[in-house]
Amino acid sequence: MQFIHSFQSEWLKTKRSLAFWLVVVGSFFIPLLMTVGRVIYADNLAKLVPLPNFWEQLLSQSWQFMAILLLPMGVILATSLITQLEFRNNTWKQLHATPQTFSTIFWAKLAVILSMMLGFFVLFNVGMYFSGIVPSALLPTVNLPAAAFPLRLYAETSGFFFVDCLPIVALQYLVSLQFRNFLMPLSVGIGVLLASMIAVEWKYGYTLPYTYCLYNFFKLRGATMPATGHTNIHLWALGYFALVTLASYVLYLLKSEK
Amino acid sequence: MNSIEAQHLTHRFANGDLALDDVSLRVKEGSIYGFLGPNGAGKTTTLRLLLGLLKKQKGHIQFFGQDFAAKRIEILRQIGSLIESPSIYSHLTATENLLLWQKLYQCPKNRIPEVLRLVGLGDTGHKKTGQFSLGMKQRLAIAVALLHSPQLLILDEPTNGLDPHGMVEMRELLKALNQQQGITLLISSHLLAEIEKLVTDVGIIHRGQLLFEGSLQALHQKQQEASSLVFVVNDPTAALALIQPVFPSVRAESDRILLPSLAQTDIARLNQQFVNQGIDVYGIQTTQSDLESIFMTMTND
Repeated sequence: MQFIHSFQSEWLKTKRSLAFWLVVVGSFFIPLLMTVGRVIYADNLAKLVPLPNFWEQLLSQSWQFMAILLLPMGVILATSLITQLEFRNNTWKQLHATPQTFSTIFWAKLAVILSMMLGFFVLFNVGMYFSGIVPSALLPTVNLPAAAFPLRLYAETSGFFFVDCLPIVALQYLVSLQFRNFLMPLSVGIGVLLASMIAVEWKYGYTLPYTYCLYNFFKLRGATMPATGHTNIHLWALGYFALVTLASYVLYLLKSEK
Repeated sequence: MNSIEAQHLTHRFANGDLALDDVSLRVKEGSIYGFLGPNGAGKTTTLRLLLGLLKKQKGHIQFFGQDFAAKRIEILRQIGSLIESPSIYSHLTATENLLLWQKLYQCPKNRIPEVLRLVGLGDTGHKKTGQFSLGMKQRLAIAVALLHSPQLLILDEPTNGLDPHGMVEMRELLKALNQQQGITLLISSHLLAEIEKLVTDVGIIHRGQLLFEGSLQALHQKQQEASSLVFVVNDPTAALALIQPVFPSVRAESDRILLPSLAQTDIARLNQQFVNQGIDVYGIQTTQSDLESIFMTMTND
């Protein structure tokens, strides 16, 4: 029960926060660009709407912009911003003097981050759906897409991306809990992300925790990457998430100054 | 019963510096305990240790007769605190700030407008706390500490950032909380003048050591003892010989005779005795040690 109260309290803290706006704006950014692009290039759209794989193409194009940079960067920023709320407002001491275990605080905060991420994926999918039908609705000369919306495909794709983001969440959470300076988690995040982008074609690139979104995107486009082969990147992502979260939990509990 | 009983607290910082050296505190239930010391004396470290914000290295801490380590959550339910600067989420309004603490303490929601009114922030509406003055933030932090109707308030420099009018208001509020609601208060400050109008008990800490602990009355007694009387005379040797049998602690310094403080009638009688014995009295002075100078004497090396 205490966990639920703690979660509610943590959720309230995200109201009007930078992380909140990042999730809302970030989730509709690409769909909005896609919508505008399709309205401007109405002729191309007219050729696309009758195609049976209209929605698959839209999915691939939308994720192309999102998966490579925006999603990992968004997760890095949102996780760090939510965690750093306490440092920025000087509230850790007040929070740690409330009648709840340190474990509850740790897991409730993580649960809020994951819930916000889930919210992002839901909004992004809603955005993608509307970017598929809104241009047709606005342009009298273009019909609505002929194919039915493949909800399951969209949900599965997002589910895999969600899992592939988990190592980023875990590592950013760990660093943000340990360091007062916001630049620290940001530098670590950008540093590991750049290293992952460079290493993505390396034979053992899958050992880097921020590569999985990239691998999943290439898989979505049907490209085979030398690194992945028969490796299940989603399992690697889950493994990293579990391991880093556990390390983060232990380090948090062991902090001598709360 | 004691609301707080801390024994033999010793704490070293990571760099090896000794922050607290065998500090023991006793805060009686229903009292207002002023925890005094200059900046860097160890006040905040002590308060952080009491609240479990620092890992205890040595010593024992009990609240309401219960061991803090064993009953941390039950104890924290009964404590409100303000440590160092106010803990306020600047992107939220005052009500939203209190609402998120209300979720944690699960106290009635109607306490939110109640405590806001109590600290004079009832009309801040939709204003984000980031736009509050330091004094308003401080008052909101007090509201946070009071939200769940605690039995004990631990306040670290609660008048920081308040103007003189705000300081008086805060003092009246804390007094009322103590007298009307029976809340025990532990208040740290580096300003004795501000604290002595409020507290019933005092602890004085300096360089990590507790130099004095007792009632304000006991501190006043010390003040009385430290006050002195000076007679400026032409023959200090004769004067000393005359009064030493009655006042053994009397001493002479050049043309001055130094005595403990006396009642006005005794001063007149003594003056008459000197004159009768042919000792010329050029002046009589009383040096009154106020609490501030006692505090300074204690905390000066």
